[in-house]
Amino acid sequence: MHLDWTILWGNPGLLILQGLLVTLQLSGLTLLLAFLIGFPVGVLRWLSFRTLEPLCWLYVELARNTPPVVQILFWYFSASYILPAPLFLGLREVGYEFGAAVVALAIYHGAFIVEVVRAGLNSVSTGQLDAARALGLGFTRALAFIIAPQAGRIALPPLVNEAASIVKNTSLAMAIGVAELTYQYRHIDAFLFRGVEALAAVTLIYAVVCLSIAGFGHLLSARLSRHVARREAPLSLTSE
Amino acid sequence: MEFGRVWTAANWERLLVGDLFNHGVIGGLLMTLLLGIAAIVLSTLLGGIVGVLRDSPRRTLRAASAIYVQAFRNVPLLILVFWAYFFPAVFGLQLSKFTSVLIALTLFTAAYIAEIVRGGIRSVEPGHVEAARALGLSPFEARLYVVLPQAFFNMLPALAGRYVVAIKNTSLAFLIGLADLTEIGKQIGARLMTAPVEVYLTLLLVYFLVNRGLSLLLRALEDRRRFNRVFLRI
Repeated sequence: MHLDWTILWGNPGLLILQGLLVTLQLSGLTLLLAFLIGFPVGVLRWLSFRTLEPLCWLYVELARNTPPVVQILFWYFSASYILPAPLFLGLREVGYEFGAAVVALAIYHGAFIVEVVRAGLNSVSTGQLDAARALGLGFTRALAFIIAPQAGRIALPPLVNEAASIVKNTSLAMAIGVAELTYQYRHIDAFLFRGVEALAAVTLIYAVVCLSIAGFGHLLSARLSRHVARREAPLSLTSE
Repeated sequence: MEFGRVWTAANWERLLVGDLFNHGVIGGLLMTLLLGIAAIVLSTLLGGIVGVLRDSPRRTLRAASAIYVQAFRNVPLLILVFWAYFFPAVFGLQLSKFTSVLIALTLFTAAYIAEIVRGGIRSVEPGHVEAARALGLSPFEARLYVVLPQAFFNMLPALAGRYVVAIKNTSLAFLIGLADLTEIGKQIGARLMTAPVEVYLTLLLVYFLVNRGLSLLLRALEDRRRFNRVFLRI
């Protein structure tokens, strides 16, 4: 096997960088949209409205129990049948594959964020809300200043995990031809026959991005819980 | 919506078992289940070993298992599938599509299961091990009879979640052309051309039913008394 790493400084390297840019755009937009879905629905589930709860449950269970790549294919191939024609044509102008991937991934990851948000809110004792209300805070203020900071500490590590998971799952967008990192690797492999070098570079980029997100999460949660007494780390078995 | 036109008996058969009855070639849901179950079994074994090694007294083993977990958790599964499928071919060793996906899925899932196993073992009170040792059990016996059963039940909910993810992840196999549920569904959709909504909704529904079924099955195991009655006859 002959490997030539210098090709990464030429055209293939440029393609990979373009791919990275698309991956980051895809991840950023997906994250934003997933939060926009996940937060309100998470709060709704926490409040457990009788009328909306079955709908929220259905959304979360359907989205979580089906493969994200099949969801991407569904939105990609079905949109022209489901969406009104003007909307679909407008979307096609701005690059329809990209939009379908963002929507599908946001719906998928939004469901996980719903559960994280709900678990975070559930971890705060209900007495806190009652006390805040008794002290004269309105419901939104009590939620924003009393409940959210406490729930945030619990919810933050899994939310950061979710962000890294989104970056990894954007690789599925290549199934419908979005030119992100993994797609560019396949392209370089198919047309320039430099698959191994490109695959190694792409793997490294994913690892660096995901590990950076994880590191950022560690710093953030250390900072958020700096006023909170640290729980004793569990003794490992080998300490006997 | 014309589900009746799309889902003829022949198309259902193809979606569920592939060309099993015509040409003896497995595909569709059967392929997905075979792949998923094989990956779940293998990754549980590998993840169990790596998870125990994460708290090993030997530093090299601890470091090696930590590197394994971090390396495989921070790369997309699809990239691992491509490594497994295309990299051995460079040395003239062409793995089958099924083997490639199985290897990638096993290595990926095992990295997550290792963390679950480590958490499960740590969740057992150290006092239990000390008590077992004081009663004369060897360190190995203490692990096998005291730590493992307790850790197992603590791990079950997280493991169940991971198994559902593994079943979902088998769908990546279609990207290298393995005839799994997604690939067969896609082929049926491509042949009909005009019914993507019906085809993909059905695909989503089949995955949903399989995963809900698996979740409910594993939740039934979480009831410790029922588990003992069924599996240990206590």
